[in-house]
Amino acid sequence: MEVVARRDARGRTVLPVVRASGQLAVRRTGEGAVHLVATAFGPLGGDDAEVRLVVEEGARLSVHSVAAAVVLPARGGSPPSRQLVRAEVAGVLHLTPEPTVVTARAVHVAELHAELGEGGELTATEQVLLGRAGEAPGRWTGTTRVVVSGRPVLHTTVGLGPGTPAWLPPVAPRAYVSTVRIGEPRAAVQTGVDAVRLPLPGGWVGTAWAAELHEAVARLAGVTRERDLEVAR
Amino acid sequence: MTAALLTLADSRLPAGGHTHSGGVEQAIAAELLTDPASLALFLRRRLTTSGAVAAGLAAAACRAVDDTDVVAALAALDAEADARTPAPALRAASRQQGRGLVRVGGRAWPHPAWAALPVQPHHPLALGVAAAAGGLAPRDAAAAAAYLSVSGPATAAQRLLAMDPITVAAVTARLGPEVDAVAAAAVDGLPAAADPLLDLLAEVHTVRTDRFFAS
Repeated sequence: MEVVARRDARGRTVLPVVRASGQLAVRRTGEGAVHLVATAFGPLGGDDAEVRLVVEEGARLSVHSVAAAVVLPARGGSPPSRQLVRAEVAGVLHLTPEPTVVTARAVHVAELHAELGEGGELTATEQVLLGRAGEAPGRWTGTTRVVVSGRPVLHTTVGLGPGTPAWLPPVAPRAYVSTVRIGEPRAAVQTGVDAVRLPLPGGWVGTAWAAELHEAVARLAGVTRERDLEVAR
Repeated sequence: MTAALLTLADSRLPAGGHTHSGGVEQAIAAELLTDPASLALFLRRRLTTSGAVAAGLAAAACRAVDDTDVVAALAALDAEADARTPAPALRAASRQQGRGLVRVGGRAWPHPAWAALPVQPHHPLALGVAAAAGGLAPRDAAAAAAYLSVSGPATAAQRLLAMDPITVAAVTARLGPEVDAVAAAAVDGLPAAADPLLDLLAEVHTVRTDRFFAS
């Protein structure tokens, strides 16, 4: 899947490239806005999706999704499903998809590699729930790498679910949310109940966890002080 | 050469590691760590996240000593260490211990690469250079980093909870195979395994006025 956002002569954002295939479709839903639409159930174990986002200087792009992604295991010994997002951002990118629900026995690997130019802005949110109601947790591994003007400012891999490194009793939460924001003054540290916001050069990264997704979202909003992220759209 | 590795991983090497608990002090305050069983879980958690990151960086720094531009190679690794350590309290703890190791390592194993390190380098970088200066290989640097990620915190827990030293030694020793596995897996890459819980504990800890350890 590929979307290119460009600023036109009148200063508006146009999308000269909006391309998708496989289990993802893309719909233009406004000026500089697209929604991802899953064309089938899933992702399913073994699915591989690559999303390329290019936001040129002066352009703005918002990427949403229409519904939560429910990751299902394939039959037998399910291989992981993967989603890789590569973003090149000289303008403004908002990447705020709906939550990912990783069902029992499913394993999902999510990666975001964002390269920002001088003046590039990024807001990227991730909301994860392990298991549907009353179901055993699946496994999720998320890597975020953000490079600004050639310098890495954030590179973390968080593993959730049985058998992953940082998911051990007594802290093994079902719900996890994280937001990275680049394009504003370096934020101060803010701590809360199972929530922390850490400064980055030109922004911050906030993380929260809880038993339920709405609790985690509220906890993150409590330390980031960005109420608009609470709905993340 | 083995003696250099043993010296590097020895808690008696005066590099300042004994003033850091690796999150143990705050984990105890938060009642997440109360006994040998929860200590083992906490150490495993630390080993497989920050221990893995430290092991990867230490091995890479050891290798960087042979780079044509050592200064640039180590500066790039220092930036990668920052990117993997977003919590300011953990960055400060790492750089304090890095500076402490430069002080003793530079005297113990003189080598031009010490001068190529940034001022107050991250601890794994200093560890990698110390390993190279001591004639060790990247896998040794990774092993020392992985081991140190649990040995210091285990001692801190023993002191803070007045635990039986033999029990704590056994907990640490039983992690041996996992320490080896983490080090082996980290040698050829730069793991980025993060634990937001450790970030939160470190930041809550650093603003306490009644803390016993620096981190």
